[in-house]
Amino acid sequence: MIIKGGIVYDPTNGIFGEEMDIFLEKGKVVEEAKGKEIDARGLLVMPGGVDAHAHVAGTKVNTGRIMRPEDARSGLEPKTKLLRPCTGYTVPNCYAIGYRYARMGYTTVFEAATPIIESRHTHEELEEIPIVDKGALTLFGSNWEVLECVRDDDLDKLAAYVAWGLRASRGYGVKVVNPGGGEAWGFGTNVKGLDDPVPNFDTTPREIIRGLVKANEMLNLPHSVHLHTNNLGKPGNYTTVLDTMDTVKDITSTRDRQVLHVTHMQFSSYGGTGWRDFESEAPQIAEYFNRNDHVTMDMGQMIFGNATTMTADGPLEYNNARLLHAKWSNHDIELEDSSGVVPLVYGRKMPVNAIQWAIGLELALLTESPWKTLLTTDHPNGGPFVNYPEVITLLMSKAKREEEMATLHELVAKRTVLPTIERELDWGDIAVMTRAAPAKVLGLAEKGHLGVGADADVTVYDLRPEKIDPARDHKRVKEALGRVKYTIKGGEVVVRDGEIVAVPRGRTYWVDASVPEKDAERVQVDLVEKFEKYYSIQKSNYMVQDAYVTDPVVVKAGVI
Amino acid sequence: MREITIVPLQEFEVPLEAENIRPDIFATLSLEEIRDLEVWEGNRRRYLSDLFSVAGNDGTGECLIRLDGDFSRVKRIGEGMREGEILVRGNIGMRAGSGMRGGSINIEGDAGDWLGREMRGGSISVKGNAGNYVGSRYWGERCGMRGGEIEIEGSAGAYLGDHICGGQIKVKGDAGDFPGASNRGGAITIGGDAHLPGAEMVSGTIVVKGRARVLPSYGFQETAEIEGQLLWKFVGDLVEKGKGELYVALVEDDGQLDK
Ligand SMILES: [Zn+2]
Repeated sequence: MIIKGGIVYDPTNGIFGEEMDIFLEKGKVVEEAKGKEIDARGLLVMPGGVDAHAHVAGTKVNTGRIMRPEDARSGLEPKTKLLRPCTGYTVPNCYAIGYRYARMGYTTVFEAATPIIESRHTHEELEEIPIVDKGALTLFGSNWEVLECVRDDDLDKLAAYVAWGLRASRGYGVKVVNPGGGEAWGFGTNVKGLDDPVPNFDTTPREIIRGLVKANEMLNLPHSVHLHTNNLGKPGNYTTVLDTMDTVKDITSTRDRQVLHVTHMQFSSYGGTGWRDFESEAPQIAEYFNRNDHVTMDMGQMIFGNATTMTADGPLEYNNARLLHAKWSNHDIELEDSSGVVPLVYGRKMPVNAIQWAIGLELALLTESPWKTLLTTDHPNGGPFVNYPEVITLLMSKAKREEEMATLHELVAKRTVLPTIERELDWGDIAVMTRAAPAKVLGLAEKGHLGVGADADVTVYDLRPEKIDPARDHKRVKEALGRVKYTIKGGEVVVRDGEIVAVPRGRTYWVDASVPEKDAERVQVDLVEKFEKYYSIQKSNYMVQDAYVTDPVVVKAGVI
Repeated sequence: MREITIVPLQEFEVPLEAENIRPDIFATLSLEEIRDLEVWEGNRRRYLSDLFSVAGNDGTGECLIRLDGDFSRVKRIGEGMREGEILVRGNIGMRAGSGMRGGSINIEGDAGDWLGREMRGGSISVKGNAGNYVGSRYWGERCGMRGGEIEIEGSAGAYLGDHICGGQIKVKGDAGDFPGASNRGGAITIGGDAHLPGAEMVSGTIVVKGRARVLPSYGFQETAEIEGQLLWKFVGDLVEKGKGELYVALVEDDGQLDK
């Protein structure tokens, strides 16, 4: 296949708006190929979009669906000869997730949090999400075995356990949510800072983060530790985040990537001492990123309207539910973590929500390098992923930001600096934030670019970058971003003129990391005891079998 | 007012979805266009004239729809209507008048489940009985009925006015289990008996003129006279720190209630 004459943005290969042809063969980008021609003359062409953080599969997503039958009343799309029926907005069904990503030109999405014990369910759902390639990040931050290894300062055993946990969950990377807090929540408390001890384990969040980051690098994993910070969602939490990032600064990454990814930063960039003097500290966070290169983040942009918050941060969800008098689900995940789900509505006239909205944008606009700030809404915590076109146009148009701000609570002008920011991102910045950077941050060498050997995932937008001014024509741009001209996945046209035309199965990435035999054996001794004494299921029933990952991409890593 | 009469041509075995039977939709259409409106019979697309005889005044204008015959398997009649009138000489199926904002539906027979679900205005009257979830919300929504009136001469099923946030429901006969659950400002009157009214009620009123079992999370206040009848007045649901008023004539007491 040849994609002819597009205006290509491929930041990984230093291409910013050059007219060129792209050749695809056998699912890969190649030097030269024959076959079907796609007429992309003058149209905006990018690699397929990569979402490095969204909650799209697993028990908490399903809990959201169960808690919100009313959500399934929106987003209804009847089945067709080709497509399964779709439901939902904040918690869409599996088919809708695949179709809606594809219609926006996205071809890869990573589920942001799966506990090992519930990963079989996560994979059952991932299997049902069509078209896009997938992966899942495995939760380690409040896991007993992790806490014990960290307490005993036994990094070799910790690395061996992480490798085993990734294999058991068929997971791709190390996710850490409110480290130690999930365990503390089992006793009705939380950890309040990096040096607050975790009940019964004689360790602290700081030690857990440092331990897991070191283990992650010992294992040479493709992705870094992916962290949801302590104190997330609380006024004044920006100091916790700055301290967190500093605490891993001395650890060297073993790959060409960050040593820590701090996720949905919007929820961790808060100033003030309470909700009354709540304010943005995004400038401080962005300043840190402008001076340091060892960390990356994603926006976690908030979208007004319905959202369903879902996280392994159990105590956070308890606070949300109490504050908003909302529906609440609370879940204890045995020896591994806690979690919660709370539906809520973000209101334009609510001062806190208006400030949160501005913070996400400030982070992306004040951080100089787009390589450090991935575009996400922490779907569906900040809002559903279908709003990415809205986020992109907000970043590209000051006029649009001003129009929006005029509809918000006036505190947005006093407690944030967004009104003073002139910067308007260009297509190169957007291609980085939605393609090149997420692929690099995740360590996916064949994603997010269009160099020879890359996966044949391509987006052709119905936009002429040489003719349209996104700063002015943001309405038209938003529409085109939501309904692409073509999405090509693995060399196959899956979307044409905004409609799905083919529904291939996506593949699932997971990481198989090797460790020294003696360390693996020491982990097994611990696990036998834990399963006998504490787990509700047998160790032999615990691992996710290959039958649950039918199209795997196994990435090798490890110590030996 | 322009009148259109609709009569089923057959007995329906498969339920129909007929949200197009709505006076304000008819108002803008000629008779011929009305006959061509879409109806779903199970998973099959049909036109109104395939299944019903449609007769009446041609031309356009505000509309009275007469439904003659058994419509108990026809769902969603008058859904979302804003004006006009529907007169049913027979029974009507599920979700009649759900989400309606104005106009009226008068039913001479029985009504199915979800009558007036999440309605915001207008009025519904039923001569016979009504099913479950009258004036309620769909599961998961925060509010059921927000405005308007529903009157039932017979009895209503379970979950009457579930999550009602406004408006009025009057039932002359009995109501089933859990009427007025999570009431937030609606008014419900039940002429007969009810079981466990007002669970999680925050505000609004519920009057039970017959017998009811009262939740232990209600506090007895005083006796009060309503329409010449002496009733026990309770306030609750205290589980929600609620200030809803619950009046009951005969309290089924298992000794837990502190009154
Ligand atoms: Zn998340």
